[in-house]
Amino acid sequence: MGMNALTVQHPSGGRVANPRRRTVAGTLLPVPALLIVAGAIGYPLALALWFSLSNAQVGELGKFVGLANYAYLLRQPTYFDAVRNTLVYMVASIVIKAILGMAVALAIARHFPGRRLVYALLFLPFVFPLTMGTMAWYYLFSNVHGAINYILMQSGLVPNGVDWLGSFGPLPMASLITVNVWHETSLFAVLLLAGLRSIGADIIEAARVEGATGGQRFLHIVLPLLRPALVLGAALSVMGSFGDFAIVHVLTNGGPANHTQTIPHMAFMVALRDGDVGVGGAVAFTVLPAYFLMLAYLLREVVRR
Amino acid sequence: MTARWRGAPRRAASFLTGAAPAGGRLAVGAFLGGMLVFSLAPIYWMLVVSLKGGKTQLMSGNPWWPGGQFTMGNYAQVLADPDFGRLILNTAVVTVATIIISLATSVLAALGLAYYRTRSSNAIALVLFAAYLLPQGVLFIPLAVMLSRLHLYGGMVALIIVYPTLVIPFAAWVFWTYFRRLPAELVDSAQVEGAGPLRVLRDVLLPLAWPAVAAVILFGAAVVFNDYLYTFTLVSDHKNMTLMADVGSDLLDIDDPGPTFAEIMLGLLPVAFICALFADVFGKGLGAGVIE
Repeated sequence: MGMNALTVQHPSGGRVANPRRRTVAGTLLPVPALLIVAGAIGYPLALALWFSLSNAQVGELGKFVGLANYAYLLRQPTYFDAVRNTLVYMVASIVIKAILGMAVALAIARHFPGRRLVYALLFLPFVFPLTMGTMAWYYLFSNVHGAINYILMQSGLVPNGVDWLGSFGPLPMASLITVNVWHETSLFAVLLLAGLRSIGADIIEAARVEGATGGQRFLHIVLPLLRPALVLGAALSVMGSFGDFAIVHVLTNGGPANHTQTIPHMAFMVALRDGDVGVGGAVAFTVLPAYFLMLAYLLREVVRR
Repeated sequence: MTARWRGAPRRAASFLTGAAPAGGRLAVGAFLGGMLVFSLAPIYWMLVVSLKGGKTQLMSGNPWWPGGQFTMGNYAQVLADPDFGRLILNTAVVTVATIIISLATSVLAALGLAYYRTRSSNAIALVLFAAYLLPQGVLFIPLAVMLSRLHLYGGMVALIIVYPTLVIPFAAWVFWTYFRRLPAELVDSAQVEGAGPLRVLRDVLLPLAWPAVAAVILFGAAVVFNDYLYTFTLVSDHKNMTLMADVGSDLLDIDDPGPTFAEIMLGLLPVAFICALFADVFGKGLGAGVIE
């Protein structure tokens, strides 16, 4: 066919025609995606960096003030409250979601009547609009005729009800974590189930023949193989928690007395409610070191495979 | 390699092969029952409120049962409201536009990264990967400023520009890893026959990649449905609101939440449930690309 002169070795070993056309295609194909990413992520990111280094207010770009916003933040106890709360919120909800999601994945892996419906109903909180779900939780937790307190009081378990969202102590944060877990457990379950399905029956069977018990098989064979699924779930969760605004805003608005203030919610309050875009931008930007650490870790995970 | 894309060599879905003992089945059933109650409680509660009449439905009666306050009036009110149709339409436009833009751009990018590699391919993959993980919280302030300077602030176009940024990097990554798992010979032989990239995509890759397509569609719908930060900060004009933003602003008014909850039950719950039916496909699309 006379193609030989024009063929090159494909990285995967096949033979491919016309290298120049391939280079043009390879250069052009990612352009639309990159344009959107550059316009709606790259540019705002640069703007965010500028804000965090300026005294910008809503409606004006402001002047360069160096690291003054960051220095100001480091003098604010409220900022450290937000850092601590964000960590507690993020870590606790990831651990609980991973454990519950694992249990759901194992329970649902086996076929049983109605499995598809059960799976869909368990997945519903992930696709049900989060704002609405959180609003409902707000009224479930409410201390004025709240639906959870109604059960506790009617059954006589807690005659005066519980102030879930407004008390000092761990309850408001526990309420936030509950809603986060409600929303995202099924994401972990779906990822872990996909991971479980990718494990060959032969590996498990071999371990069984060697005399490993169910627990040993789970700990030493299944769990390590599920690591990519867990890492992906955790990464999506961390992103979610750094971006999470709805749950905090609707349930507690950061209160009582800053007890549930988180970084993204604080950034919103400072920048858009108080109008101090510079300091708000600095608050948002301080998550970036954690972001780069996570990125480096995930890249290593991806490259290793 | 070839066995993978064909789907299932026999997989052990359960690491405990063989039948479970009756006691184990009972415990599993009880656990799933508990999780179902937890998952559905807030949604069921909304259904109850939507079926209650009067202005005090949040302050009186049994929150878990409509009882004497039962009415279908809230649903009649929502269906008679001309705004409801517009909100549904807005939501559909934003969701569908987000999904189409995300699918088109990310499939092309993934095709380039997987089969038309250049010297910059690795750098592009890295940029997309990094963008995929960048938290929303960093960007919403400058996005609001940027869109207001472009005079797009407050409208639906703002959302249609912004939402794909939350979907594209993820989608490109899913497609890229999915495409890489398909046997290279398929693409090579199509190319030898003279097929350009778009024909390779249409005839060879997409017919095999439908679980990835489905996963991306679901992910896109979930992004639009779950967003609050962007609708809350970017859309102020009531006639441009999505159902989510509208309901979010109405819920701050607790005097008469019945119609608002009826709106949720009619407009959002059915779509969410249909999405949820595809949970398995979502897992498959993600799983093949990312986890295996």
